[in-house]
Amino acid sequence: MTRPGGRATPTSGPAVARAAVIALSGLLGAGALAAPPLQPSVGETLYRRGLLPSAKPVQATREAGATLRGADAACVNCHRRSGLGSTEGRITIPPIAGPYLFIARGKSLEQQGVPFVDTERVNHEAYTDESLARAIREGVGANGKTLNYLMPRYQIDDAAMAELIGYLKDLKVSPSPGASTSVLHFATIITPDADPVKRRGMLAVMNQYFVDKNNAMARTKAPTLYSSHTMMFRVERRWQLHVWELTGAPATWEAQLRKYLVSQPVFAVISGLGGSNWEPVHRFCEAQSLPCLFPNVEAPVGHDSDFYSVYFSRGVLLETQLIARELAETREPVHSLVQVFRAGDVGEQAARALQAARSDAGQQVVNRVLKAHAASKDLAAALREVGPTDALVLWLRPGDLSALEKVPPPTSRVWISGEMGGLEQAPLPAGWREVTRMAYPVDLPGRRVVRVDYALSWFRMRKIPLLAQQVQADTYLACGLLSETLNHIVDAFVRDYLIERVEMALDHRILTGYYPRLTLAPGQRFASKGGYIVRFSDPQGSRVAPLGDWITP
Amino acid sequence: MRPRILGRLGAALTCAAGVLLAVATAASVLRATVSYQTPAVMLVRADGKSVSLPHELDDGRPVLLNFIFTTCSSICPLTSRTLEEFQQKLGREAAKVHMMSISIDPEQDTPARLTEYARKFHAGPEWQYYTGTVAASVAAQKAFDVYRGEKMSHTPVTLLRSTPGKPWLRIEGFITPDELVDDYQKLLASP
Repeated sequence: MTRPGGRATPTSGPAVARAAVIALSGLLGAGALAAPPLQPSVGETLYRRGLLPSAKPVQATREAGATLRGADAACVNCHRRSGLGSTEGRITIPPIAGPYLFIARGKSLEQQGVPFVDTERVNHEAYTDESLARAIREGVGANGKTLNYLMPRYQIDDAAMAELIGYLKDLKVSPSPGASTSVLHFATIITPDADPVKRRGMLAVMNQYFVDKNNAMARTKAPTLYSSHTMMFRVERRWQLHVWELTGAPATWEAQLRKYLVSQPVFAVISGLGGSNWEPVHRFCEAQSLPCLFPNVEAPVGHDSDFYSVYFSRGVLLETQLIARELAETREPVHSLVQVFRAGDVGEQAARALQAARSDAGQQVVNRVLKAHAASKDLAAALREVGPTDALVLWLRPGDLSALEKVPPPTSRVWISGEMGGLEQAPLPAGWREVTRMAYPVDLPGRRVVRVDYALSWFRMRKIPLLAQQVQADTYLACGLLSETLNHIVDAFVRDYLIERVEMALDHRILTGYYPRLTLAPGQRFASKGGYIVRFSDPQGSRVAPLGDWITP
Repeated sequence: MRPRILGRLGAALTCAAGVLLAVATAASVLRATVSYQTPAVMLVRADGKSVSLPHELDDGRPVLLNFIFTTCSSICPLTSRTLEEFQQKLGREAAKVHMMSISIDPEQDTPARLTEYARKFHAGPEWQYYTGTVAASVAAQKAFDVYRGEKMSHTPVTLLRSTPGKPWLRIEGFITPDELVDDYQKLLASP
């Protein structure tokens, strides 16, 4: 089938091609999925990156003459990756995925299987290929009226225009895989090196949350009127959780995940638990265009420019920034930065990141690596010969911190990781407390108590054992955010749209658990941006005091 | 299904209101003369220096002030582009204006990110960007009546003042660079 303009369709769209690969893999086995990612279509490149088929940047002007080029002029900036539009202030940017443009006025979108989105123009004229091309080039809508000042006028020739319009027609508004008419399938991913206690805690929360969600939905079936209670559960699909447990070496995880996804497509991945290496999971989510929301990961990978994976914070990598900032601002010169960590733990990544940050500043860095199962006497050996003008950073777990009891505290300044050490519960011996500061990438205990108590009360009422408080509170928060976002989505179960709505929903959130604030945006993938440097207040106990304000390094 | 229909209806009404507002916004630029009390907050300039907001505003030059965030993908690129052209159109005269852009997403917008953003819009030395604590940014936003809660709720507002102590010209909506130059010159010419 060929559309006006000579563009082959519909099999040229990336989503269609991806679906075809997935279908093929079902026949050939998971190994067939190892094919390299497909090249984006011409229309997609123009839509997302503002590049013409010639690879030159597209040019556009606004009514008043301002010129835009390339990525700055890309449609995705306003209409978003989903093509379902956005809202900024009092400005509503309409959806431009095919059906919203081409369905005639007066016809119900719902009757034609097109989901409602709160950005849609309920009364616009239907576009044709020709009138849409005029809108894109001249800023004149299907009804002959001038479009909003925000909409640029593009210089696009006929061939590229046909590609762009074809791409808009291909943008999917039907439910993504994993969203059926009665069930929303979600997965949670657990790597084999994840802490087994945290795993139990996380799954206990998720299983109960899903049970509650489904029970509430059953109770509120077809109410006569909305109330605030029923609004919370108006997405009338049962939630089903699939636990994807990975085994073996990290090099095999992506293949395992692809196999899981083929056998049970899911709408999104929610929460999850990693050990020292989350990269294969992150890569899988990006490659499969699968939202991966708020996993419990101490050393998240990826960048703000990625799309599908969002995290509560950068974890130990944020701590390295907090410590690096302290070291950079210290008045007394630091002779050597000595870092101690265990091979294979996330401390290794943190140490590498801090080394990179300080080496750039000309700092001498010495890394002392303990074997994964080394005894505490090896820890004592690693702490020898640290002088008073050195800085010692310990990327260690509670077991190792307890073992410091047998080691005299050094004369140097010391930093420990709150994320790895257990925050204020870190079992740091009394003698070490006076010289030690802790990187603390969450809100202070007294300030977060109300927000976290909300989750803890829910655990108590549901008789969920408290096994790993932060992991469980974060998991509960992730489930709550998913639920809230799905209420905004109504029935537009499009994966890209889920991510876009999570970005928006997070800003409204008051109950943010361990974190003082959570915000995301296009180009922001780590929701909490800062932390404190704290010190223990007493020789024993868990009272900590901040050594300054909240820092956003 | 009743809940679905009601959900769609409610959402559609919300949407229709949004569309009307969008049209109204695009069609008009609103101007008002307003006096503001500047809060004594400290901000961090993109060069990393901690500065007082009143001192930055009252350095003797005419001031153009707006509020942005660097990951904003719709409104801010346009308003920043307008300021860039305003700067270009003023030519040498631009050095006499203090242009100030304060982040409404200060935790994300570090001095380094603001510097990169300023470079993208070819900001000259007279155009400076500011971040700081969330509390300081919110105080500044509230003082100039641009605080709308979440960053995604912000609206395009440009503020102009000829000299310290004078009231501000508040411009709401998408003003063009030519209109902004015109407003600026009229403001300077007024007694």
